Amino acid sequence: MVKEFLKELNGKRVEGELIRTFLYSFIVSIAIIGIAYFVSFRKIPGFIDNYGSYLLLASISIALITSLIRQVRAYKEFACMSGMMIGMTAGMIAGFSIGLYLGATNGMFIGSVLGMLVGIFMGVWMGKCCGVMGIMEGIMAGFMGGLMGAMTAVMMINDNIKLAVIIVSIVSYVILILLNYMIYKEMKENERQRKEDHTITVFLSIILIFIVTWFMVYGPRSSLFG
Amino acid sequence: MKNTTILVIIGVVIVAVGAFIFMNSGSDINGGVIIDDTQGEVIQGELQKVNIGIKNYNYYPNTIEVKSGKPVEITLDKSVSGCYRSFNINSMGISQYSKDPSQKIIFTPTKSGTYTFACSMGMGYGKLIVK
Repeated sequence: MVKEFLKELNGKRVEGELIRTFLYSFIVSIAIIGIAYFVSFRKIPGFIDNYGSYLLLASISIALITSLIRQVRAYKEFACMSGMMIGMTAGMIAGFSIGLYLGATNGMFIGSVLGMLVGIFMGVWMGKCCGVMGIMEGIMAGFMGGLMGAMTAVMMINDNIKLAVIIVSIVSYVILILLNYMIYKEMKENERQRKEDHTITVFLSIILIFIVTWFMVYGPRSSLFG
Repeated sequence: MKNTTILVIIGVVIVAVGAFIFMNSGSDINGGVIIDDTQGEVIQGELQKVNIGIKNYNYYPNTIEVKSGKPVEITLDKSVSGCYRSFNINSMGISQYSKDPSQKIIFTPTKSGTYTFACSMGMGYGKLIVK
């Protein structure tokens, strides 16, 4: 089954567009950060040390999330169990990632609030593919993920935070890729319901990376980061 | 473009950006502070000793004034426990866990200004004014 999925990554179904979607989103995020760095951020002392690795990891997370969004939107409707799993995973990982990166640079308040907002938004958007159950699951997972991400980062501030964030991010990436696989496995007998260009991918990547970068650099900080 | 080619491009971009971050890291982020972790050794110059305890679930005193250019020795007394013993002045790059009062936090501030100190969870906090 895994071999079939890997083969389908080069196929004509929506799974065949996942890698391309990842590339577009990742390039957009990196380009925005790169332009902002050479125009303004390089004047900030210690910018790369303080934010560089988090922004790179955030760009990869956003690219994986936009790939997931494309796959979910292509099938439009799912069975309840699949939809709940999609809403929960999307909400949890989106909220956790944003909370984690912002928690590591700005502290608990900004990390958890923005993590929750992004997580709940993603959870509802992805979870609605199976109705109110998926939406509920998405809200709960986004809420929990946002808080947990920021809390994890703040609790690890003195204990190899950068390495911990890399490890946690890799786990999140694996979970998102496994969700891609689960969706393929559940929907391989179904036809694609919606075909769309990459406008949403690019638009969402710009919005998310802008929010993360702006709050990381200019957002309020807790006393821990004063 | 084939997906294999796209994957190669993604890999190259990630490695390139990662290498750029790695090569440009390690710049001065300590806010001009010399951190001295050679505890127990004699430090030249006037040592500014500060004793910190806990009152109303926060560090006490939570506003400390020290002179620039002279070493500071912070002692967290016995009333300080839990995460409060993990002492941070993030903008100076100071982050130290003091297991007991004998483990001092010693550093020399070289730039005047107001810095925030806090425990690792941000539950206890205060201001260090360097004049």
